[in-house]
Amino acid sequence: MLNGVQAVLYREINVFRKKAKKQILASSLSPLLFLIAFGWGFGDRVAVNGLPYILFLIPGLITMSSLNQSYSIAQEINISRFYFHVFDEFLIAPISHIEIVFGEVLYGLFKASISVFLIFGYAFLFGVDLRISGLFFLVILMHSFLFSLLAMTVSMLIKDHGSQAQVNTFVITPMIFLCGTFFPVDKLPAFFKVIVHCLPLTYSTQVIRASLTGGEINFAYIGIMLIFMCTFFLTALYAVKKVEA
Amino acid sequence: MSNHPILSVSKLVKTFGKKPAVNAVDFTIQEGEFIGLLGANGAGKTTIIKSVAGLIKPTSGSILYYDKNFESHLKESKKLIGVVPQNSNLDRDLTAYENLYLHTLLHNIPVKEREAKIATALEFAELSEYRNKQVKTFSGGMKRRLVIVRALIHDPKIIFLDEPTVGLDPQIRRNLWNLILKINQVKKTAILLTTHYIEEAEKLCSRVMVIDHGDIIMDNTPEKLKHGLGRFVLEIYNEDGITETYFDSQEAALIEQGNCQSESKIRNIALEDVIIQLTGRRVNA
Repeated sequence: MLNGVQAVLYREINVFRKKAKKQILASSLSPLLFLIAFGWGFGDRVAVNGLPYILFLIPGLITMSSLNQSYSIAQEINISRFYFHVFDEFLIAPISHIEIVFGEVLYGLFKASISVFLIFGYAFLFGVDLRISGLFFLVILMHSFLFSLLAMTVSMLIKDHGSQAQVNTFVITPMIFLCGTFFPVDKLPAFFKVIVHCLPLTYSTQVIRASLTGGEINFAYIGIMLIFMCTFFLTALYAVKKVEA
Repeated sequence: MSNHPILSVSKLVKTFGKKPAVNAVDFTIQEGEFIGLLGANGAGKTTIIKSVAGLIKPTSGSILYYDKNFESHLKESKKLIGVVPQNSNLDRDLTAYENLYLHTLLHNIPVKEREAKIATALEFAELSEYRNKQVKTFSGGMKRRLVIVRALIHDPKIIFLDEPTVGLDPQIRRNLWNLILKINQVKKTAILLTTHYIEEAEKLCSRVMVIDHGDIIMDNTPEKLKHGLGRFVLEIYNEDGITETYFDSQEAALIEQGNCQSESKIRNIALEDVIIQLTGRRVNA
């Protein structure tokens, strides 16, 4: 079973390796801009939920950046499916759909982990003291896994490149801005609160932030993340199967 | 060639929405056979290839590899087949070596055999010196050779070549023919080749199936297909266009030509004449 996972990973990592400089540079820029704009702008003069804003912001940036990177595999799969037809090679090969899903999702985790370490570097440069624990690694893993699975599902269900951009515009971008990355969700109007509590990012942002700032961990939120993970795993498998219909 | 079917297709139907692409086709392919699937664009050739390769699910019908159901023995069956798709699906960012290595992983080829198999494949395709070059730097012909030998790395019993020479210039096309013939003759791999170049099917295939609007309307050797119509064609050029008449002997054609007032020409019958008679259209139209 492992050869399929290994093959998919081999392909993705080798393609990434050839574009690594550009990709890492691109993924490091947006969190840096947010840090400069909001981190320096508000710095420690503003407190949110009892934390200096920069300490509140950095876990949010870790969540946002790892989401962006793990979800970005959708775009890559999309290109390999519709333009270069490389994905067909996986479907023709004697490997299972689960192997394809795991291979792609592990690649998503790999990309997300790079972005996490980049922001750890920024935190160090900005003198922000994070409490990195085993729990943090568990929840960031779950968070990246979850969004890689969502990426896999979306990339298989869409019919063309344009639809991918629409999902990003109407789902991913609003989710990033509304689910507690830059400000607490309890400040939102009631209607939006209901909406954001239907989205997985709200839970992972809260748990990741708590794990890095010594806040109280809501274990029910980890349970909800687990439910999202299982759901997206099943939808990803269904979506790969549907490609062959 | 042994008389043992690798692939048996029965009542294969594929519809897209309400539109039928393949209508209950039946055919078998024996070990070592070289079959051409000939038809115009949109006739259903690629749909058949995609169905038997597992890229799309047929609407109904059965596909058996060595008498085992494809759907229920998917992994086992996929090990028997190699696919050369119409659109090159090589990874352009990877090198030739990396593309082949990826294929050895996908087919779970033992670690100790991988390097030798890759080296042999590159040599077979005359690409050894380009081993570490990215595929995006390759010409169309080099990409085609690489994609063909990639399909062979796991020693399949049958390969599906979907329009392998389309868009290539005549010289490169002929080089590819030699490579494809070598695969069939040296490796004894059965081949199902789809093409709309009649010359290609005539030159390479031991059996030709003609497909039109999703139906296989003829299945025979190129010679028998051609001679079912006659051996010689008398072309008469008149105001309405060209009229073609078929004759079993050159003498009969010459007698008819003698009675003809318009400009005319006698030539050997070609597979294309048969296809036009059967389908009413040119396959490379």
